[in-house]
Amino acid sequence: MKKTIILIFGFLFLFSAASLLTAQVTRPENLKFPPLQFEPPQPASFRLVMANGLRGYIQEQRSLPMVNISAIINTGSLYVPKDKAGLEAILSECLIKGGTKTRTGSAIEDRLDFLGGTINFSVGERTATLSLSVLSKDLDEGLDIFFDLLMNPEFREDSLKLAKGKIIEQMRGINDNPSLVLSREFEKVLYGDCPLTYEATKATVEAVNQADLKAFHRKYFFPKNIILAGAGDFNRNQLKTKINKYASKWANQPLNFPSISRNFPQPEPGVYFIQKKINQGYINIGHLGLEDTNPDYFAVQVMNFILGGGSFTSRITSKVRSDEGLAYNCGSRFTYRWGFPGTMAGYVQTKSSTVGYAISLILKEFDRIRQEPVSEAEMETAVNYFLESFADFFQSPARTMINFANLEMQGKPMNYYTTYRDKIKAVTKDKVMEAAKKYIHPDKMVIMIVGDYEPCNQGSDKFPGPLDRLGKVHRVKLLDPLTGQLVE
Amino acid sequence: MNFKKLMTVFLTGFFLLVLAGPGRAQVQLEVKEHVLPNGMKILMIPKPGVPRVVCHIYYKVGSINERPGTTGSAHIHEHLMFKGTKMMGVTDYAADEALNRQIDDLMNKIYREKYWKRDGDQAKIADWQKQVDELAKAEKKYIIKDDLWGTYMKNGGTGLNASTSDEVTGYYVTLPSNKVELQMLLEADRMMNAYFREFYSEKDVIMEERRLSENQPGYYFNEQVRAAFYAASPYHWDVIGWMDDLKKVTKEDLIEFHNKYYVPNNAIAIYVGDFKPEAVVALAEKYFGAIPQGAEVEPVRTGEPPQYSEKRMYGQGPGMPSVQLWFHIPPDGDQDIPALNLLASILSGETGRLNKSLVKEKDLAIRAMAMSRPQWYAGAFTFNIVPKLQKGAKPEEVEKAVWEEIDKVKADGVTPEELQKAKNKTEASFIRSLESPMFLAMRVGRAELNRGWRSLLTDLEDMKKVTSDDIKKVAAKYFVKDNSLVAIYSRSQGR
Repeated sequence: MKKTIILIFGFLFLFSAASLLTAQVTRPENLKFPPLQFEPPQPASFRLVMANGLRGYIQEQRSLPMVNISAIINTGSLYVPKDKAGLEAILSECLIKGGTKTRTGSAIEDRLDFLGGTINFSVGERTATLSLSVLSKDLDEGLDIFFDLLMNPEFREDSLKLAKGKIIEQMRGINDNPSLVLSREFEKVLYGDCPLTYEATKATVEAVNQADLKAFHRKYFFPKNIILAGAGDFNRNQLKTKINKYASKWANQPLNFPSISRNFPQPEPGVYFIQKKINQGYINIGHLGLEDTNPDYFAVQVMNFILGGGSFTSRITSKVRSDEGLAYNCGSRFTYRWGFPGTMAGYVQTKSSTVGYAISLILKEFDRIRQEPVSEAEMETAVNYFLESFADFFQSPARTMINFANLEMQGKPMNYYTTYRDKIKAVTKDKVMEAAKKYIHPDKMVIMIVGDYEPCNQGSDKFPGPLDRLGKVHRVKLLDPLTGQLVE
Repeated sequence: MNFKKLMTVFLTGFFLLVLAGPGRAQVQLEVKEHVLPNGMKILMIPKPGVPRVVCHIYYKVGSINERPGTTGSAHIHEHLMFKGTKMMGVTDYAADEALNRQIDDLMNKIYREKYWKRDGDQAKIADWQKQVDELAKAEKKYIIKDDLWGTYMKNGGTGLNASTSDEVTGYYVTLPSNKVELQMLLEADRMMNAYFREFYSEKDVIMEERRLSENQPGYYFNEQVRAAFYAASPYHWDVIGWMDDLKKVTKEDLIEFHNKYYVPNNAIAIYVGDFKPEAVVALAEKYFGAIPQGAEVEPVRTGEPPQYSEKRMYGQGPGMPSVQLWFHIPPDGDQDIPALNLLASILSGETGRLNKSLVKEKDLAIRAMAMSRPQWYAGAFTFNIVPKLQKGAKPEEVEKAVWEEIDKVKADGVTPEELQKAKNKTEASFIRSLESPMFLAMRVGRAELNRGWRSLLTDLEDMKKVTSDDIKKVAAKYFVKDNSLVAIYSRSQGR
């Protein structure tokens, strides 16, 4: 029936386009698009190896008089010991502000600001990144500062004092923001107490000194442990020569990464409730997931798109938001981390009285995708989305070079992008169901809620409380942010 | 209608932006313009390469076009634009419409009983609500869920979104370069044939969105600060609107809103990416050109009257403490704005005066910045300081330290190095903003709706002419107590 109407409609349109144009258009299915070929750029054509084994992915892009260059260093918070937790945050602040042997931090910041350049440093879980952006006329000066910071940071005391003051001040508020509390506490339950979840306290921050930062830098910052990624207005060969000037004077050293246990606790399923006097419940429902190097990764991506990752086209959004008006933000997500399983979670934030109901709807969707095959239409939308949007990965040359550098750093296959579309195409309805069964376990769900207990527990018509209908309720107490101790 | 006979203006702006100083590079910003006979303007920035096109539509409407009672409408409307049209999102329009009319009638009765009466009849309300629920259930079989969104997605649409600000509402998608026509079709359709299905559950979604904001530490206080600062102008309320209005606004209000503002002469489309302008122009004529021109839209009437008094506010709640100083400044395009913008730059950032003085020297704060926000009708210059509690810094001490910095500028202006640094930063950040096709579309599109996209270039030129004396002058003119609001927020775990 629907098809007939569309056809007639399209027919009319063709015949009388000239006169009917005032009010009607045709269904989008009737559009014919010209074919489009796109082949992704190949990492090998951008790869350079410079002095002392410093690697880089470098692309010339002459349309704007700018250069963006990043150094991705193979280190991160994962290697910070528990009693110095927060070292990564101090390092993030002080690599630049602490200056180098020959420049103060202020001098560096003043100079780059004067040139209209930017420089940023941040430390993540397993990679740290220093990024420079300068007008191409200032490239030489920019590079000089960039390598000085990478090779000779001094971590002056005044910068440490300021950084610690700032970090401790911000620490006071870390239990105030419900979404940050939720994501932090959820990970703590799933991963337990381990380097992935260590938290800084006032004491661990204050314990970090200049010698610690220097030692951390000395251990991880050397050419073979770094990959550069750069794009912009330069000549590639000339850039290589310029970089070699620095890299050739930069010695490598032996490095053994500390080994980190991959055994995580099996948390007791049920409700984990964190009290906060707010008018919504912030909710995560899930357990540990998988690594993105897992062969099932692509099937999981397609499955999650249909379940709750594909925004409005996904089941959870359609049900919880669009049908029921229960939430602005809801869905499901798989997170990934290098070398460790990520997390799998359904999420929603909804007013206190509908917390139980929203959770029950998400749980139903978990069951459904494990038990019923997805529809042809859902598969088509999901698969086409990944295929048709593929070129988006490469919109920004600077971003593309960073992506290539990350592939190599994490030891992923360098043909990841070349084979990407075939791997998406190979996902079938059966594989989607298989992935759902393998990576979603309703019997193991940790249902974490940050909200106001009484109204959440009371519920509403469609799902009257109490919350223990969803499983045993554990009341989780937040720690004092400054001391890391329980407070009443 | 024969398109070839239509009067169209096809302008090509080819701009060579030559940066001052020796050894400086040259930047080109090439924007092609095409004006349709119904007044809609098409802007195009071709960027050959990756076969993607950023396709944005901007309407000259935002929360400043609302009035008390309908606050939040521009944003509600933006949500409704995803709820279908007479063609999209529905299998049988006539049947669906019949149900919708019944739902609307019942909901109007409910609203009157609930909101017009002091003691509405709860039993009646419950009964009508039951009928509404039944009808809504019956309607589901005609609804194609998120049809427009799904269509964009399966055609590789990314950056799919919409946003509402005080002044502008934008609809965004990035598509493969062979599929620009899809965006024209869908956007023309919803401009012309919008049909607000599931209006009432969507309002619930928006109330949840407001609650999300409310649960952000400091939100309630900042909402009040803004309301206190803008006493008369419609910048008084937040884009999300007051909760009461979200509850009570009707579908009729929104239809009226649509008909007034969603007309081609109040919109522009902008394309950035890998395409041929002639092809885009031909498609635009076919799709957008077919939409009848609407009535002219009156600019916002109420500006912000002079304050003639100092305002002070104190608040407590979760989140970081803050000391804010707000000053009224003229709107975008005023001759004082370039000096105010540069002053904000000189005061802010890691190497700015506020950070050097309040954070590094006096150790009173952990963050200190200033912002110049001219806006379209009434501007604000704000100082925002996060005091350092460990030091026991009193908010009033912090406030005093800000005034000391202001007084220095009033007395001595700024140094030539500071001025040049601020100019270089502004210019470089402009060049940087040309890098991302999406931000470029946003920047050029929004500028077009206010003073024309060329203002981006003329503003740069005006900025370069600013002197230290100009900055001294604007500081003296605007940074006075009778033009200020001071807002002090401290941490408490109360609410």
